[in-house]
Amino acid sequence: MKFALYGAVAMATAMTAFAPAVAAAQELVLSIGSRGYGGMVERNIEAFEAANPDTSVEWLKVSDVPGDSRKLYVTGLTAKSPTPDVFAIDVIWAGEFAQRGWLEPLNDYLGEETIAAYNPSFLSAATVEDKVFAAPLYVDGTHLFYRSDLLEKYGIAVPKTWEEVISASKIVMEGEGNPQLYGFVSMWAKIEGLFMNWLSFINGNGASFFDADGNVAVNSPEAIAATQTMVDMLYEDRIVPDSILTMRPDDARTLFQQGRAVFLMVQDFVHAPLSAEDSPVAGKFDFTRNPYFEGHEDAHSTAMGGWLLAVNANSEHKEEAAKLVEYFTSYAAQLAAAIDENRAPGRTDVYAAPEMTEAALIQKFGEDYAVGVVRPSAITGSLYPRVSEVMQTEVTNALHRQKTVEEALNDAAAEVNSILGK
Amino acid sequence: MSRTMSLERRTALTGIGFVTPTILIIALILIYPIIQSVVLSFGQSSIDGSQPYQFVGLKHYAALMGDGRFWNALGVTFTFTALSIPLELGLGIGLALLMNESFKGKGLARLAVLFPWALPTALNTLIWRWMYNSDYGLFNGIALQSGLVDRPINFLGDEILAMGSMVVVAVWKTSSFMALIILAGLQSIPRDLFEAGRMDGMSKWQEFTQITLPLLKGPILVALIIRSMDALRTFELPFNLTDGGPVNATESLSLYAYKVIFDFLDFNFGAAVVVVQFLVIFAMSLIYVFALQNKD
Repeated sequence: MKFALYGAVAMATAMTAFAPAVAAAQELVLSIGSRGYGGMVERNIEAFEAANPDTSVEWLKVSDVPGDSRKLYVTGLTAKSPTPDVFAIDVIWAGEFAQRGWLEPLNDYLGEETIAAYNPSFLSAATVEDKVFAAPLYVDGTHLFYRSDLLEKYGIAVPKTWEEVISASKIVMEGEGNPQLYGFVSMWAKIEGLFMNWLSFINGNGASFFDADGNVAVNSPEAIAATQTMVDMLYEDRIVPDSILTMRPDDARTLFQQGRAVFLMVQDFVHAPLSAEDSPVAGKFDFTRNPYFEGHEDAHSTAMGGWLLAVNANSEHKEEAAKLVEYFTSYAAQLAAAIDENRAPGRTDVYAAPEMTEAALIQKFGEDYAVGVVRPSAITGSLYPRVSEVMQTEVTNALHRQKTVEEALNDAAAEVNSILGK
Repeated sequence: MSRTMSLERRTALTGIGFVTPTILIIALILIYPIIQSVVLSFGQSSIDGSQPYQFVGLKHYAALMGDGRFWNALGVTFTFTALSIPLELGLGIGLALLMNESFKGKGLARLAVLFPWALPTALNTLIWRWMYNSDYGLFNGIALQSGLVDRPINFLGDEILAMGSMVVVAVWKTSSFMALIILAGLQSIPRDLFEAGRMDGMSKWQEFTQITLPLLKGPILVALIIRSMDALRTFELPFNLTDGGPVNATESLSLYAYKVIFDFLDFNFGAAVVVVQFLVIFAMSLIYVFALQNKD
């Protein structure tokens, strides 16, 4: 009966996708996005093969669109395919995959010292019942990008709090008198990124998804106040365009790049296009950690995303697979990825490397990640996609003023509790 | 006598021999998944194999009935179908009549009409998404520069506008498909019927309502059924244009089923959604067939 679940199409897809791997069972199959980790993949594979002559690694290139590669993995893992042996997973999948028994715990392979070197916030997303199920490859979280030239022009210091962001936006918008210029843009479309965004806001006000006792706390007074600020930025302060409600990361990036926004809050991958030679804002912008609310200086408010490497629980070469994970996430490999590919390391000790003093950009990313917050994916496990969907829907309801913030978050709390069976 | 029987039997056997592979393939790729979907929808299981299949009867259907999001998706699907099909049919008949006339550049006109239909929906939708964009889209650019509006219109960010925008894309793309089927019907109407009508002093309008339309009933029915089935299972359009948003204002049944199955990995509940959708489409087709046949 279990077979019934996969369906003919799913099986066919899985078999096509994994067929080459099955044919050559002697080698490891590593599955990772074709662009995501840049030139590091091939370099690392070559070096790994040189150091381990009896193991060869085949690179199965998968889509860089997380939803697409997730579908591919899920199909294969459901069918208990032994390949890919090692695969790159989005930070929010780790809890779910681990709970479904698809990942091999790495504690025995990696050793305590290595595990202690990982960014603790980031690692918590890959830790289920005290076992580590994946190793951080790189971090890609959100930051507050700002137009340094405009702030300078109006004599405004780089804002640290949301209150300062709002007042700075108003000063610049008024001063410039350009109806095409907005204060703040970000990804507030009903996507995963909205949930990240919202977590930044509420954590910046001292709230969090679960309270200290593990209860759902999405409708705490602090969370409601922070969410209300989002709504007010849109309708009261009017520093945010209506179109933010359909913006994905790249839409927001485009607007900022066209010089039409003072602030932008998205993931660090936008730094490269924004600073490209033909970018109108090149040299006119900088970034800082995500803001917090007044009185919450210690708040962890930088929403962290990024990728991990995990070992397939059905792999026939777990030992070698774990070795490959260790190699890819090693100090040397992460240092090289930081210097050459601008990938923010998932190991905190890499930032202290002497070579890194030159890599000012990555250093700065790293400072922000020290105050990072991850999504509650490790705790919610296989229910995470539904929890995230509820939060996206209810926050959207509030942003569209379909419900008051309080109603929306109360409904969200009730729904999340019912999903989690509380 | 026995010789004829054996010839008949031989013919029959040959026939069966030819048909069998087709039936087997259809059974494998069409009937098997349908049965599996129904079986799945009556049970509970876990895709990681930790929980074996267990029959739970109508549990998922009962849950569906109390699921606001399902009713929303059903409403969205019906609204979308009810808005787009009449528009497509009207425009399709108009286009077909136009293409049936002989005029200079007719070939080019036919090509132009077919163009939207020939492009993949996903691609169409991406183009439209850019045109609708409120910050750098074509429509807002024109509206703002000509002074029609002083704030950009958020086509895809407003519940009602988003549905309207989706209908426009559907009508733009699929009217030509309606036109094509109706044109084929038009061309099968014997010319002498019109000549006879003209001799009886029929006006152009009478010709249309009394000769053309009644004879087009068959093709119109086919076009309606095919397009309604398409509209009732529309997926790529909201998936690429709005992802079901804002809130869930454009989330069709297919999109909801897709999210339940592939994002939440809840195959059983997803199967129930799909089965209900199948029944809706089936019922809709029956209604069309009866409604249009009874008038004969």
